[in-house]
Amino acid sequence: MEFSEHIKTANVEDVELRQPLHPPSRGTLCITGHHLLFSDREEGSSRQVLLLLRNIDAIEKSVENLLGYTSFFSHAGHSERTSGSSGTITIKCKDLRVLQLDIPGMEQCLNIAHSIETLSCLDNVSEMYPFFYRPTDLNPQSHRGLSAMETYYGQTKELHERWRLSSVNRAYSVCPSYPPAVIVPNSTDDDVLKRVAKFRQGGRFPVLCYYHRKNGMVIMRSSQPLTGANRKRCKEDELLLQAVIDGSDKGYIIDTRSSQQVQQARITGGGFESKSFYDRWKRLHRQMEKGKALQESLIKLVEACSDESHNMDRWLSKLENSKWLSHVQTALSTAGLLAECVERDGHSALVHGSEGTDCSLLISTLAQLIMDPCCRTLEGFLGLLEREWVEAGHPFQQRCAHSAYSHARLQQESPVFLLLLDCVWQLWRQFPLALGFSEALLLRLATEVYASDYGTFLCNSDQERSALGVKENTYCLFRALLRPTERDIYLNPLYEPTELAIWPSVHPQSLQLWKGFFLRWTQQTRHLEEVQEEIRNMVIEWGKLALS
Amino acid sequence: MASPVSVYNSNNLDSHIPNSPRDSLKMELLADVTLLPGEDRIIDKDIIYICPFNGAVKGKVLITNFRVYFKSSDADVTVTLDVPLGAISRVEKMGGASSRGENSYGLEITCKDMRNLRFALKQEGHSRRDIFELLFRHAFPLSHAQPLFAYSTQEKYPDNGWNVYKPVEEFRRQGLPNNKWRITFINKNYDLCDTYPTVLAVPFKSKEEDLRRVAAFRSRGRIPVLSWIHRENQAVIVRCSQPLVGMSGKRNRDDERYLDLIREANETTKLTIYDARPSVNAVANKATGGGYEGDEYQNAELIFLDIQNIHVMRESLKKLKDIVYPNVEESHWLSSLESTHWLEHVKLVLSGAIQVADKVSSGSSVVVHCSDGWDRTAQLTSLAMLMLDSHFRTLRGFQVLIEKEWISFGHKFASRIGHGDKNHADQDRSPIFVQFIDCVWQMTKQFPTAFEFNEHLLLTILDHLYSCRFGTFLYNCESARDQHEVRLKTVSLWSLVNSKMELYLNPFYTPESGRVLYPVASMRHLELWVTYYIRWNPRIRQQQSPVEQRYKELLALRDEYLKKLEQLQLSGSSTSSHLTNSSAPNPSSSPSQQYTHLQTPL
Repeated sequence: MEFSEHIKTANVEDVELRQPLHPPSRGTLCITGHHLLFSDREEGSSRQVLLLLRNIDAIEKSVENLLGYTSFFSHAGHSERTSGSSGTITIKCKDLRVLQLDIPGMEQCLNIAHSIETLSCLDNVSEMYPFFYRPTDLNPQSHRGLSAMETYYGQTKELHERWRLSSVNRAYSVCPSYPPAVIVPNSTDDDVLKRVAKFRQGGRFPVLCYYHRKNGMVIMRSSQPLTGANRKRCKEDELLLQAVIDGSDKGYIIDTRSSQQVQQARITGGGFESKSFYDRWKRLHRQMEKGKALQESLIKLVEACSDESHNMDRWLSKLENSKWLSHVQTALSTAGLLAECVERDGHSALVHGSEGTDCSLLISTLAQLIMDPCCRTLEGFLGLLEREWVEAGHPFQQRCAHSAYSHARLQQESPVFLLLLDCVWQLWRQFPLALGFSEALLLRLATEVYASDYGTFLCNSDQERSALGVKENTYCLFRALLRPTERDIYLNPLYEPTELAIWPSVHPQSLQLWKGFFLRWTQQTRHLEEVQEEIRNMVIEWGKLALS
Repeated sequence: MASPVSVYNSNNLDSHIPNSPRDSLKMELLADVTLLPGEDRIIDKDIIYICPFNGAVKGKVLITNFRVYFKSSDADVTVTLDVPLGAISRVEKMGGASSRGENSYGLEITCKDMRNLRFALKQEGHSRRDIFELLFRHAFPLSHAQPLFAYSTQEKYPDNGWNVYKPVEEFRRQGLPNNKWRITFINKNYDLCDTYPTVLAVPFKSKEEDLRRVAAFRSRGRIPVLSWIHRENQAVIVRCSQPLVGMSGKRNRDDERYLDLIREANETTKLTIYDARPSVNAVANKATGGGYEGDEYQNAELIFLDIQNIHVMRESLKKLKDIVYPNVEESHWLSSLESTHWLEHVKLVLSGAIQVADKVSSGSSVVVHCSDGWDRTAQLTSLAMLMLDSHFRTLRGFQVLIEKEWISFGHKFASRIGHGDKNHADQDRSPIFVQFIDCVWQMTKQFPTAFEFNEHLLLTILDHLYSCRFGTFLYNCESARDQHEVRLKTVSLWSLVNSKMELYLNPFYTPESGRVLYPVASMRHLELWVTYYIRWNPRIRQQQSPVEQRYKELLALRDEYLKKLEQLQLSGSSTSSHLTNSSAPNPSSSPSQQYTHLQTPL
């Protein structure tokens, strides 16, 4: 391991730790290749804080050299120190926690800060902690298990008549960001797929992601067609989409860009499905923000939430100005529109934006939650995330490299997955009985996606994960969450399955700030978490006795 | 169908509830209205309801001496309205005989409960004249020398809600009288203070003639009296009106001595006087003979809580109504909400109450007043008591709290609500009690297991605040209630509630006596009470019914659980101890007291 070269000071005694919800404590700080470990030095209290360095988004340090002035400036509690210099490191985490460490000795403080800065953003995936994490009660992911998409195909027998599992991408040669197995129309052979892939950005040709049992309609997703400035066509692409709707009179294309944006996209080689060549398909445009705009929105929101000033007069305005809730609103209403196309209007739909790795996944996931009761159980939801995010090639590593506190220049960061979790929370709040999982699950995922012991959210695609042997060498978060010891925490005690679609209200009056996440480190939120826990235990206890 | 339906697609407002056509629909349109005993039909009529959400809907309206009821006759749209006449604040004619445009001739009804109703009629033959006049007369009976519906109803309930609150019993529950505090009947004929109840608790050492002299120095004779006493530390919450200091800065030694008796009762070193008003308003009150306690009150400190007056609150709620009815503000919802200042007012009321509760639980006695001591004072004392005393967080206890701090101490319900009165613009009207209930709702959201009652109780209370079906909220004070024989001639709202308690119970209630609840009064943690203020908008409404159903089941499950638990405990089985430990309320394992951050700007 080469981590040691980044660690000049591994241990510091007599460090004071200040963190939310706890009184300050004094103890030993230790830096390892992946962790920051703080142990309370009080006898009898074995309190430890173990923080993944990966979780650290930003650090701020301030040192003061009081050498020679100690006699004048010795404040209580500091007097025992031998050196007069000290420093404070403020650690801002991706889970929005803020910690402060008072470290005696300027040099030690700078060393520690330097180690954290370097080790918290190592780029080399195979050096990351999931490759070292060895839980005792889990087996490693099996090498040759079925993918989530294959499992879905296997479970959805109704699909088999008209749809097939294609392994055209088995070597990731057709689409680097797709998994090896995808679901496509029976009538479309692999050669056609290869040609379609050339006509779609990043090779993301239309694949099935959801089959609606009630009426046999499907949701497809892809990237934009590469029509370009001179309106190129691709016969195979047209035929594939024709095969999707088969005999039906039409389908919908939900483009997550505005009609203006898609015109502009043509200049850079992208484009859209024009009416004249895809005459059975009706395009609907819904402009969704992603990328930088979304990241900046998150930054503003977190800034407003962590504003410690007592002057809260402008809180609601600040909340509004961050635009986060309007992104939530757009995502939910676009997903609602997609679900309406399929469930109410009875037609199949294709979703894409430009790359098809962000907003498309967001709204196809939400639409499935709205329509399909199977996705609303704990297992169903985790399966959905595996299919629609992990396997479908959401670039987690790029999107979640940094969060709201980072000072680093923005690159590919964008909190699309966090936005998904927020939208799911809104559904959960509006339909307290309909989802089988709890808020605790969403909170856990919101943390794990940025920094994790598990390999699930590593890399940007299946191909990258396979090249690094992520499956063989790390443990799977989703399986860990389903362990009997953990599972209970993530179940919704009020769950009552319904076959009905759950149509969210998307008026701003119906949407709320997800306080459980954004105000997580406040006393009030902690209290409500504990109350949820209490209620869960209560309901379980009543149920037990009623059964006995 | 040409394109996907509506809701997420445009501003298209179709969300009709489909209904199977029935041939005889029109005939039996009004057949399913169940009238209350004592409720009489006045008139019914074909009419068009201009629904802000569904557009014009044809149907029939029925007016009784209690309600306006409307049912649509179109087979494909079901719209039902059921509005107590008491909820009406204003009835106007809309358009004239020569108005052009469809449905431009009719009635416009403004309600007190965050909605308006518009009806259209045929223009020919003065078709609205009779309905307008009848509605006007019955909606505002007191303006027409008619009795309120509460005096006509013949409803019978197994439980008599008038027995919920007995002042002496409540004092006894608090441990009074004791050697520091005595119960006095000096006001039994309402001649000390005509807006106070007959039974009062005052310092043991104060003599009846002291009380009379203090009354002369307090606005409307509302002398400082005990509302609540802390069982352990004997600190008290005392309420009153402002002292009559005036421009000349008058002093009254009896008043000063009396406040010192309050302080002495539990050896508080410094008595804290919370003046609910902003300090500028308190100063301005001197011009009209009022004022506040100055330095002459030794051993006392005065703190202003900055809560605005009834006029500011009325305008604030009016602004809120403007952005939620009939159309909800879409594009700048949060900043519009902010500009109503409603949540900010809620915050100030709550944080004032938190300060009162915190002071008392730390062992110091407090005096609370505003100008007259019947609006902001009632909010502060009752909320502080709700935080301090878990009894008030039970279904019965909450009724007692309202009966005691609001009804018996003369919150002017008649003036603030304007029951049966046509003067819709009366400056005395103000949603002070609504604001209090909002604060309670905020607390129930922050402490989901601490209250025995549920949101439905709060909604029911607010509905009947206006309905005039029960005597509970009628009149301004006890003396007026006695004079009009409210207890004899009307039914109490608590009769309705306590005869069907399971509707109002919170399945997750975990009694924890002795726990003080400090809600967080920060804007970040307050929410708009959407299910009350925006409940008339069908598009905002959330799935209530399955949740209510589930809660009902849980309640049944809980009862069964408790029953079995009791059986097990009786039979002395070994499992019982295990069950008790794991589920029964256990103060030590439950979240500890919320030590509030008293950082609210003062």
